[in-house]
Amino acid sequence: MHPNEDALNAFADGSLTAGEAAEIERHLGACVSCRQLVDDLREILGATADLDPLEPPVRVWPRIERAIRLEQEHAARPVGAEVVAASAATGDRGAAAAGRYRSLRWLAAAAALVLASAVGIRYAPWRQSAAPASQTAAAGGAEIAAGDAAQSVESELRQAEAHYENAIKGLEQIANAEQNALDPRTAATLQKNLAVIDQAISESRAAVRSQPANEPAQQSLIENFKTKIALLQDTVALINEMRKGNEAGAARIVSSLKEKGE
Amino acid sequence: MRLISALLLTALAAARPALAQDEPHRVVVRDVVRGVTHGAKSGAYQGRDRGSEQTDRFSRKVKLGRDGRVSIGNISGNIAITGGSGDEVTIDAVKRTRGDQGQLANVRIVVDDRPGRVDVRTEYDSGRSRNNNVSVDYTVTVPTGASVEAKSVSGNVKVTGVRGAVRTESVSGDVTTVDTPKVEAAKSVSGNVMLSGIQNDGELSATSVSGTVTAKGVKTHALDLGSVSGDLLVSDVTCDRLTAKSVSGGFEYSGAIARGGSYDVNLHSGTVRFVLANPPGFELTANTFSGNIRSDWPLTIGGDRDRDPDANRRRGASNRSMRATYGDGSATLTVHTFSGDIVIAKR
Repeated sequence: MHPNEDALNAFADGSLTAGEAAEIERHLGACVSCRQLVDDLREILGATADLDPLEPPVRVWPRIERAIRLEQEHAARPVGAEVVAASAATGDRGAAAAGRYRSLRWLAAAAALVLASAVGIRYAPWRQSAAPASQTAAAGGAEIAAGDAAQSVESELRQAEAHYENAIKGLEQIANAEQNALDPRTAATLQKNLAVIDQAISESRAAVRSQPANEPAQQSLIENFKTKIALLQDTVALINEMRKGNEAGAARIVSSLKEKGE
Repeated sequence: MRLISALLLTALAAARPALAQDEPHRVVVRDVVRGVTHGAKSGAYQGRDRGSEQTDRFSRKVKLGRDGRVSIGNISGNIAITGGSGDEVTIDAVKRTRGDQGQLANVRIVVDDRPGRVDVRTEYDSGRSRNNNVSVDYTVTVPTGASVEAKSVSGNVKVTGVRGAVRTESVSGDVTTVDTPKVEAAKSVSGNVMLSGIQNDGELSATSVSGTVTAKGVKTHALDLGSVSGDLLVSDVTCDRLTAKSVSGGFEYSGAIARGGSYDVNLHSGTVRFVLANPPGFELTANTFSGNIRSDWPLTIGGDRDRDPDANRRRGASNRSMRATYGDGSATLTVHTFSGDIVIAKR
């Protein structure tokens, strides 16, 4: 059985006890995929130690997201169970909306963390940051009365939107400033696909404005924000790698070859 | 969905020009290409970028062991890897340029050879790469049981008949695996990803930003598919857990779902289509803002919205939000698309 990613993370950054580390070591001796993951994590740790804090480390976002979700689910299980039970028993839309409210509170918190990652949070601190954020989200969920939850959903959605937009703005600034590190065709592909996401965001936003309580519209809007942030983070990470110690490197070679028709 | 993984980034680092890459604790075999130069007008100055193609060939064999690890990093050019018998890695490479023949010497193929592992990378002379226009095509044979990592910035990557774990990525080229059962990750930014003959108990991640992701003959535990604008198409597939996301691409899953499996699809404008063969049963949670939902399997409607109060069972249901079950309801299908349709069809 594979160790979970948290354990591999902790192993990579040296925060396990000697006994725990020895156990992981034994597993790594026999497991190529986990060994590769640990190699990657160490590479990331090494890279982030040397890089400017503005550069967000790869894979941070999914882990933030996953950690918050797991912690929130764990912390809020009794509340969540009540909401689900109430919804199932009565078909009450308010209760269902309360469930979504908790979800949106979490999204707002997660978006805030994305922003934090974009402006300087490094690999290690997110685990400390995640717990208070998720606790806040869970506590927030517990305080919501079903009756006014529908209105709160709309308000929280706008709040989440604002956080995502801020995060996107920060990442875009980084990506745009350094995009000449990429070969022009790759940059064009990324730009074109960012435009595809922007179009999707516009469509979802228009749907939410016209039908604020529509769950598919809400879901689309949030998903598209998350997709854009992920692609921007990947773009920045790719730029970093192309640029890192590599002034005369890969991007220019690729660009040169393509321009010359090879 | 991470469309460009850390692995790609580490690969790019491995393939970067020759800046502080020598690692003293390793045995580094630096093979400057043996100077057999081929070209229609070999030796004659062709005028930079306009002449006939000049090539240098490189060939090397390295003993690895049957279950060793091989990595290949390239900047520009294709990589073709084939699993073969024996315990050696055979590296054949061709450097190509249409520019000055002398540029070929500024690109080196470096083979790091240590017990159980062979790392191959392309190094460009950092002082001269601004004007370099050399690409390198690799043809590599590895022991069939070896694990492989292959990455190119600009070039196609193809892996055939390798039985060990495989991770392969390209920024602007296509990624293809054939008869390679243990693919763990296959990624591209602007190229297509095409996989066939996957069979393992682990996880497979296949993503592209703008290309199509196609997988045929897949049997795996967990399947993660992603794109921004490309389609996601899997056929003859069996998996226990699926996540698929795309913004403007469509999704089609043709095959079997497992009892108790979990299948989660999230698109924006594409159509979601499951074509299922004798499913034991599933619980479908589906919603779309402006598309339609249709099932060829008779569903028992169990949702609390858009429910038809007069029908407990219906065939060919069509609405925009649905919770429903078929059969034993053991698998979970959670499907969202903003403006596309959702179709659950019979195979």
